[in-house]
Amino acid sequence: MTPTYYLVLSGVLFTIGTIGVLVRRNAIVVFMCIELMLNAVNLTLVTFSRINGGLDGQIMAFFVMVVAAAEVVVGLAIITSIFRTRRSASVDDSNLLKY
Amino acid sequence: MEYVPILLLFVLGFGFAVFSVTIAEVTGPRRFNKAKQEGYECGIEPSPQPVVGGGRMPVAYYLTAMLFILFDIEMVFLYPFAVTADALGVFGLVEIVLFIATVAFAYAYVWRRGGLDWN
Amino acid sequence: MTTPASLPDIDYAGVAPVLIILGAACIGVLLEAFVPRSQRWAVQVVLSLLAIVVAAIALGAYLYTGPQNTSTFAGSIALDRPALFLWGTLLALGLGSILLIADRVVEPGGAFVAQAGIRPGTMLDKEQANRSSMQTEVFPLALFSLAGMMIFCSANDLLSMFVALEVLSLPLYLMCGLARRRRLLSQEAAVKYFLLGAFASAFFLYGVALLYGYANSVKLADIANAAGGTNRSDALLFLGMGLLLIGLLFKGSVGPFHTWTPDVYQGAPTPMTAFMGACTKVAAFGAILRVLMVAFGSTHWEWQTIMWVVAGISMLLGAILGITQTDVKRMIAYSSVAHAGFLLVGVLALDGSGIRATLFYLISYGFTTIAAFGVVSLVRDGTGESTSLSSWAGLGKRSPLLAGIFTFLLLALAGIPLTSGFVSKFVVFAAGMSAGITPLVVLGLIASTIAAFFYLRVIVLMYFSEPAADGPTVTLPGMYTTAAITLGTLVTLLLGVYPSFMLDWAGTGGFVV
Repeated sequence: MTPTYYLVLSGVLFTIGTIGVLVRRNAIVVFMCIELMLNAVNLTLVTFSRINGGLDGQIMAFFVMVVAAAEVVVGLAIITSIFRTRRSASVDDSNLLKY
Repeated sequence: MEYVPILLLFVLGFGFAVFSVTIAEVTGPRRFNKAKQEGYECGIEPSPQPVVGGGRMPVAYYLTAMLFILFDIEMVFLYPFAVTADALGVFGLVEIVLFIATVAFAYAYVWRRGGLDWN
Repeated sequence: MTTPASLPDIDYAGVAPVLIILGAACIGVLLEAFVPRSQRWAVQVVLSLLAIVVAAIALGAYLYTGPQNTSTFAGSIALDRPALFLWGTLLALGLGSILLIADRVVEPGGAFVAQAGIRPGTMLDKEQANRSSMQTEVFPLALFSLAGMMIFCSANDLLSMFVALEVLSLPLYLMCGLARRRRLLSQEAAVKYFLLGAFASAFFLYGVALLYGYANSVKLADIANAAGGTNRSDALLFLGMGLLLIGLLFKGSVGPFHTWTPDVYQGAPTPMTAFMGACTKVAAFGAILRVLMVAFGSTHWEWQTIMWVVAGISMLLGAILGITQTDVKRMIAYSSVAHAGFLLVGVLALDGSGIRATLFYLISYGFTTIAAFGVVSLVRDGTGESTSLSSWAGLGKRSPLLAGIFTFLLLALAGIPLTSGFVSKFVVFAAGMSAGITPLVVLGLIASTIAAFFYLRVIVLMYFSEPAADGPTVTLPGMYTTAAITLGTLVTLLLGVYPSFMLDWAGTGGFVV
């Protein structure tokens, strides 16, 4: 099995995540797309770890997971607080700050 | 021959699953309520809302969820430590104790500020 | 029996400043848990200020006694002169920011919300706005963020840099949403900053992963070595570098990656805006400088044209969009985008004089920013800060001292002689000239001229128009804000008239490889 396929897959996942962030309107869904991007990164790291024959990439994937979890917590806190105020998690409704 | 441990692990895992399901069937109390009938069963009943797509979880649920994610995922570092504990020696032990201490600080904060109270 | 692993040697004296700040932040969390609410504010202020002072002493002691240009944690944390200079800068600017955060006189109870859980617009919210307590978690959060910034600009491998990036960002996202007044704006700023910040850090991380694939290591020096001789495709190197830089340039609010800056600067509580404007800039440019010079210095012929374009876009965007602003905080935000472009000129010189110029620029710009936001927090009306430019009309007649200080700070931002802004622009452009990027320097001069227009417009507005009858009042600042504004203004003046000692400090050495 060629590891290159995994790199292609992770690239595709990252792109899907990026497009999701750009086109989706619900803050939670946007955030899930960012998580998808992070997981694509994890796949890349683990694949390169396999290609390079070291464990560094796998350890890095651990760090990414932990940091992503911390990010989820902060993000959920911010999004729930704004949702409680506005009764909406749509990023289009957050339009007070402009010009 | 060298695959025997894997086979044993498989048997052990399968046995544990069967055991858990059976023991819950035999000894567990059977009380059904609405929360248990939810498609997404987490013990919480969403507050009823007339909108399509079901109701909403109370905010306390999100708090618990966040705390769970944090403390759950931090433990990922214990696994590599456990594997290499011998090689790392005292230094590794001190480091991991420090790590757990910082997590414990956060836990103390959550506990004292009422993050664990459900109301 | 397993063989003992080779353990990293740790230079505890060297990393003591960071450990002190992190330790104080942890103690701060425990204090939040166990100290009664009424005493928290006092305890936290003492702890935070003490931690910064002790960390600065530890840094000073290491500078005099420690070895030069080493790295520790198996090469992950650089302890070279630029890193230590940036630590000193961050500690000094952090001190100023903590002073602004701690003030409870300007806004009764402080600029931060009494309880973040209260929904904006409710009765409880009106009640909390007049309560004299605040969410004191801000102090440990600020310390965590500060420690993250210190690691960020001294990280010599990309994994440490990524973890530090998140340690500095996550508290900032939270603190942006904690304003006492105008809480909808504040929460909106937090959501925008968080989503865009997480998006940018995902790019950063993908860049790290590709570079790891390219060099089989995330150490900056190894990446530079791999660029000399590896059979992997250069596409990995340049794609990885591009993605990595998107994440870094976002944090430094450079050029086309600046879109979050005005919104977040405007919505965040003003002490937080000062902290972000000064300290994040320092940390981000410290990291950009290190990454570009240590990891990608050997391949600079391939990418430098693109970075010139980015720097040019940043200057022009900041300067031109700054003209159209009607809000003081947004105006300073666009000015910070322009300044990011000027800073990049120093970075792109890619030599010793470039490092010196950039470091000097960072410290002088940071102090000016802190003082400027300190002044902004004093101009208030019934609903809180009055940041609309029109309400600043005639301030020179109403409050000559405050208007005088603000005029001086604006002149420093515009780069008029006898202010630190002039010296820093001069050294940065001089470094750019000697490195042969004259077109960019010319563009920088044009952009400075455009930017000077909107600074001068505010000055004209303050002195040559009549104050409105129902205009804002100028609050008498408390001890803390006075200290922060004085500190910022004095440093701006000092570095303007006598810059040589700071330039010497900034130029004492290059990066450790």
